[in-house]
Amino acid sequence: MASTETYRYLQVGERAIALDPEGYLVDLADWTPEVATALAEEEGRTLSEEHWEVIEVLRDFYARFENAPAMRPLVKSVAQALGPEKGRSLHLMKLFPDSPAKVGARLAGLPKPTNCL
Amino acid sequence: MAQSDPPGELLVILRHAPHGSSWLREGLDAALVAAAFGQSVTLLFQGEGVMALLEGQDSGALGQKGTSATLEMLGMYDIESLYVDAAALARFGLTRDDLLLAAEPLEAADTPAILAAHPQVLVF
Amino acid sequence: MILHILNRSPGGSLVYRDALASMGPDDRLLLIEDGVQGALPAQVRHFEPVLDRLFALREDLVSRGLEGRCDEAVQVVDVDGFVELTEEADKTVSWF
Repeated sequence: MASTETYRYLQVGERAIALDPEGYLVDLADWTPEVATALAEEEGRTLSEEHWEVIEVLRDFYARFENAPAMRPLVKSVAQALGPEKGRSLHLMKLFPDSPAKVGARLAGLPKPTNCL
Repeated sequence: MAQSDPPGELLVILRHAPHGSSWLREGLDAALVAAAFGQSVTLLFQGEGVMALLEGQDSGALGQKGTSATLEMLGMYDIESLYVDAAALARFGLTRDDLLLAAEPLEAADTPAILAAHPQVLVF
Repeated sequence: MILHILNRSPGGSLVYRDALASMGPDDRLLLIEDGVQGALPAQVRHFEPVLDRLFALREDLVSRGLEGRCDEAVQVVDVDGFVELTEEADKTVSWF
């Protein structure tokens, strides 16, 4: 679930974007590609074409199912959308180290996935 | 279809209709967590829980999220073994055509065997 | 054998029907909390199919003043008996 608690603001151009304590958007409607870029820059990542296509898969998943995916369904939906080569946890771990489901959800402007640890 | 598959490790029985309480959502969450960790999960929609399967649900009057999008998502978690209480369907005047997922109708006489076949059973 | 545990009264909730429908021929049913009201002679007919496998928790009967009012078909167990029933079962399933 999206947290409603604003912990800090991220400056993106003219806009101050409210973030919760874990860095997820307080208002999911705030998301733009610029917000994703700024969130990524904060943690020293530069988003490549391969990041963007996964971010799009994540946003499609949320639009369809109203939930952020855990790792297994993320792998499955990436495989469905982008082919089996990219639908592997290794590929996703490379793009979003540590926890692809969580990091990916944050950059894609989704709530934190609830059913993954 | 589901009957020929080996029984899952966890059976989650959903007995509550959407929107009236959080039981249905909590039961689905339990199923999703187990599936996310690689357990094979079977769902049984029993009693008023069959309402969760109805086609054409929406969010609540105050915009509260429903559960039908979560049901549509079950396949992404490889939760594909679904049973629906046949007697409850009949009691509410519903048929399989009213359901948004292809759940297998389960006759009362076959229900105990489904419980017995799963090492773990949770009721919500 | 599954130990089914029911904590709702048959007079207030229909969950007992789903519990009964889910019980196999060797499964047992333990009434706890408000469920113990089902042990009264006037209520016990709801559990007719499992009368030979029907248990009620003594502590919950006592606190409700029902201990001496149980139907004689009901087997009254204390918490230790509850633990024993649990140990004898392959698994437990709670109905509420």
